[in-house]
Amino acid sequence: MDYILGVIAVICIETIATVGLAVFTGFTGLFSLGHAAFMAIGAYTAAILTYFYNAPFILALIAGMIMSGLISIILGFPTLRAKLRGDYFAIATLGFGEAIRVILENMSITQGARGLPGIKHYTTLPVAIFFAVLVLWLTKNFIWSKYGRNAIAVREDAVAAEMAGIDLFKVRMLSLIYSAMCAGLAGGLFAHYLNFIQPVMFTSILSTRLTSAVVAGGMGSITGPVIAVALFIAVPELLRVANMWRLVAYGLILVLIMIYRPSGIMGYHELSFEAIKNLLRWISRGKTAGRKEM
Amino acid sequence: MFLQTLVTGLSIGGVYALMAVGYSLVFSILNFSNFAHGTIIMLGAYVGYFIISNLKLGFTFSLVGAIIGAAILAVLNVKLAYTPLINRRASSLYLMITAMGVSIFLENMVYVTVGSHFYSFPEIFKQTSIKFFNSDISPLDLWALVFSFISIYGLHLFLTKTKLGTAIRAASYDMTIASLNGVNMSRLISVVFILAGSFAGLAGIFLGIKYMVYPTMGWITNKAYIAAVIGGLGSLPGAVIGGILLGVIETFVSVYISSTIRDVFSFSMVIIFLVFLPAGLMGRHLEEKV
Amino acid sequence: MALIELKNVTKVFGGIVAVKNVSFSVEKDEIIGLIGPNGAGKTTIFNLITGVYDATEGKIIFQGRDITGENPVTIVKSGIARTFQNIRLFNKLSVLENIRTVLFRKADYNLANALLRTPKVVRIEKKLCDKSLEFLEVVGLTDYINNRADSLPYGLQRKLEIARALALEPKLLLLDEPAAGMNPDECLDLIELITRIKKEYNLTIIMIEHHMDVVMELCPRIVVINFGEKLMEGSKEEVQNDPRVLKAYLGEEYSYA
Repeated sequence: MDYILGVIAVICIETIATVGLAVFTGFTGLFSLGHAAFMAIGAYTAAILTYFYNAPFILALIAGMIMSGLISIILGFPTLRAKLRGDYFAIATLGFGEAIRVILENMSITQGARGLPGIKHYTTLPVAIFFAVLVLWLTKNFIWSKYGRNAIAVREDAVAAEMAGIDLFKVRMLSLIYSAMCAGLAGGLFAHYLNFIQPVMFTSILSTRLTSAVVAGGMGSITGPVIAVALFIAVPELLRVANMWRLVAYGLILVLIMIYRPSGIMGYHELSFEAIKNLLRWISRGKTAGRKEM
Repeated sequence: MFLQTLVTGLSIGGVYALMAVGYSLVFSILNFSNFAHGTIIMLGAYVGYFIISNLKLGFTFSLVGAIIGAAILAVLNVKLAYTPLINRRASSLYLMITAMGVSIFLENMVYVTVGSHFYSFPEIFKQTSIKFFNSDISPLDLWALVFSFISIYGLHLFLTKTKLGTAIRAASYDMTIASLNGVNMSRLISVVFILAGSFAGLAGIFLGIKYMVYPTMGWITNKAYIAAVIGGLGSLPGAVIGGILLGVIETFVSVYISSTIRDVFSFSMVIIFLVFLPAGLMGRHLEEKV
Repeated sequence: MALIELKNVTKVFGGIVAVKNVSFSVEKDEIIGLIGPNGAGKTTIFNLITGVYDATEGKIIFQGRDITGENPVTIVKSGIARTFQNIRLFNKLSVLENIRTVLFRKADYNLANALLRTPKVVRIEKKLCDKSLEFLEVVGLTDYINNRADSLPYGLQRKLEIARALALEPKLLLLDEPAAGMNPDECLDLIELITRIKKEYNLTIIMIEHHMDVVMELCPRIVVINFGEKLMEGSKEEVQNDPRVLKAYLGEEYSYA
């Protein structure tokens, strides 16, 4: 039972990072291959505060979020201002993510590549669930406000958005900061869940996994990426597959999704009770009516 | 000291250039960042290692085998993973993510099947170094440099002197127009991946000899895309110049400043170049049409 | 005083002159046609006015203020809106959301309010919704408010673009080939719509159009562009009877036939 609860806690933590990234990638349309770095920054900031300075957990988490947010501005200011092509921006974030990791490996306060052991276990299951629900709710509100609509407009057609008076830089920057702060929060929770962090946990593989959960879940959906995260984590856990096979399967799944269902599990839709009813109706009709809007 | 650093830098740069050429070649045609290129380099190194130490067939066979093996893998890669997306005219971002997926898949496939051991090549080039103006040059570095230049020059001749090469260059300017002019795009893409794969195999051998063979050795190939960004994504002369420049600058940074700052420095170069000189040193700038 | 004035505007793209020394002005409440063969540089002129490109030389004065080199967002704010030759809608948003999005300036709540979805946000969003419906009513799209923009038929997508531009409450409206791809009935409908919105919203309009009947019906004054230069400017009769215009459209051989 403890084991299953542990899996749920991990799903909750990764949901926070993924939902934040969904705002940036799914709704604003920019791809990042470096968001693991924001998780790392949040994790190290929070862990160093509780470990060396005995700071209260909640303050440490907030400090981690703020630090991630500030560093995202350093990344975003030049790159978003320059209006880089989508793939060039992604390559820049990959460089950024690797640079942060190398820096963490060479700082003394982070204890370099050996990592920080013995971080206090503050992230219990209720804490993880609380923050996951909170972030989901805030993100839903964000997307349904003018901020979210502006982000979608920028994703759909940047030129038209600009001609409608939407400041592309501001919108993209806001989404980046939001996603970085979510990743920072997830990182802080993660550090106090595992009780141990190491720079090698935050490589480009984690960044890719976060981005691919968004893509696999559906660009422009909040619930889709959450489902994808849950599947990515739960299925191999429950099957008790060795870690390396997981990554093999994950790479393969990523390729297959790109080939066969590039719009993701949920496409541009949200999972709601209404949608579940429709889905059940669709299944019971023997799939004859063709694809129903989910 | 200075000359020694320069020579070491040049030889590292030569391997970077070899890696970057294959990466840039794909970028020039399909306009996407093929992150699976590093994995193909790694697999090429494994093939070469297998031939030389398990089949005991000697260096020439090892080199040829690595080149052929990597080329076959590169073609399989494009046929199985990329072609469906290319046919659908998917955006380059989707191709890039697919490439990431391929890279994660293959790298971990090696982990679970071959394991995470480090294999080192048997001694091929004599360890004794050659004296050159008071500085030591290892024969390996020298050969790496020589092979890099010969093969890159060969590629240059192929692209400029043959009909197929001309078609590739035409397609890199405008794929639609090239296909309208009767160029068989599917075949052309295969040829490009055969070339890119061959370069990956060659780079894999030298990388393997220099740094040993292991599943995550593809990480070094991050330097390939950094080099390509510096030179200008999709530009072949840019890849060569970017690779050599990166090798030399990195060596100087690690000798004269600090070796820990070297990688931070290289990764920051990516961001700096993309922001201030997105076309790199040799690339052409593409603007979006309104 | 003219609402907008282009003074010797030139745009060079890497050695190629796309617009050369073009000057014209538009008075308030006027509607002028901008015509010329394909590739003459008409859309480039729109891109220069709206700040997508910076003019290489020359000045653009709007309401007595020099807007040359300003960024697109500032220019939109100062009262210029446009539509696009190749329709550019926010495809995956609904028809209603397409309008509500561009009304964001009227939504005076801050980020904290938005994140917590306070009653203030709900109230303002409701108001924006009603406001959007007004604009959709004007172009006759109220039956489609929940449809995704890219699911609309072509003609209605053009109308949605016009509604979106109207929602920016511009003083100057730039229409880039609004009648492209429309049949004669739809053209008549469009003429009626443009006449109506011009009156209702006190608009000044510059219209690029290839359908001559639409241009002749709507525009008392026409500017003809050819090879990036202003060929002539005058009333529609003057333009219709000018041999240079015929030559520009039909080429050398036909002009004296």
